[in-house]
Amino acid sequence: MATPNSEDRIEITRGRIPNAELASQVRTDEDGAVATFDGCVRNHSHGRTTLYLEYEAYEEMAMAKMREIVAHIRANYAIRRVAMMHRLGRLEIGETSVFIAVSAAHRAAAFDACRYAIDTLKKTVPIWKKEFFSDGAVWADGELPPVPAETPAAKPASN
Amino acid sequence: MTVKVLYFGRLKELSGAAEEVVEVREGALIEELFSRCSLDRPELRKFRPSLVAARNQEFAAWNTPLRAGDEVGFLPPVSGG
Repeated sequence: MATPNSEDRIEITRGRIPNAELASQVRTDEDGAVATFDGCVRNHSHGRTTLYLEYEAYEEMAMAKMREIVAHIRANYAIRRVAMMHRLGRLEIGETSVFIAVSAAHRAAAFDACRYAIDTLKKTVPIWKKEFFSDGAVWADGELPPVPAETPAAKPASN
Repeated sequence: MTVKVLYFGRLKELSGAAEEVVEVREGALIEELFSRCSLDRPELRKFRPSLVAARNQEFAAWNTPLRAGDEVGFLPPVSGG
């Protein structure tokens, strides 16, 4: 499996995400662009007023999937460094739940890689959010990740 | 043989457990494991069309055979970000 570069910073945290630190960490003198995505907690959902969110994850798998995303953008875009951090636990309105920063010599690669990274994270990384309202709570509608196709005669597992 | 089963999000609430160790036949498929796990949990069974399975932290098809000690996660649609 492809691995991310050792300079990349990929983390799941229960504390506040250091947005500015991540954005500056990916900068090098060789780069002309840093694209960032700051996913933050919105105060409304489907017409209801949101009080706060709670995030949980299948942590080991989520880390593996985040590493895969970073490996993929490294292999497919002319980028330099990547930082990707997702927060778990209770988050208040306006707080950052996910932050991605990508540096590149030129802006197109930085924008494209950052866009691919957040779009793919939302589809494949096993993290869930529960939305709390004044009159109850619901698990957010999510996306079903793509799964390998079933085969009529799956090979038996071997040692 | 036994495998470890993990539930997340809504599934954790429906199953009433975050994880459990389940006895299945050698080479049982993930589908059989889910049938076993949802036998006494009709709410969980109803959720089958909208969940995916992971075997040892990789998404896996329902007809994937299991080995002793495998970790199987049942995952509702993901909603990170």
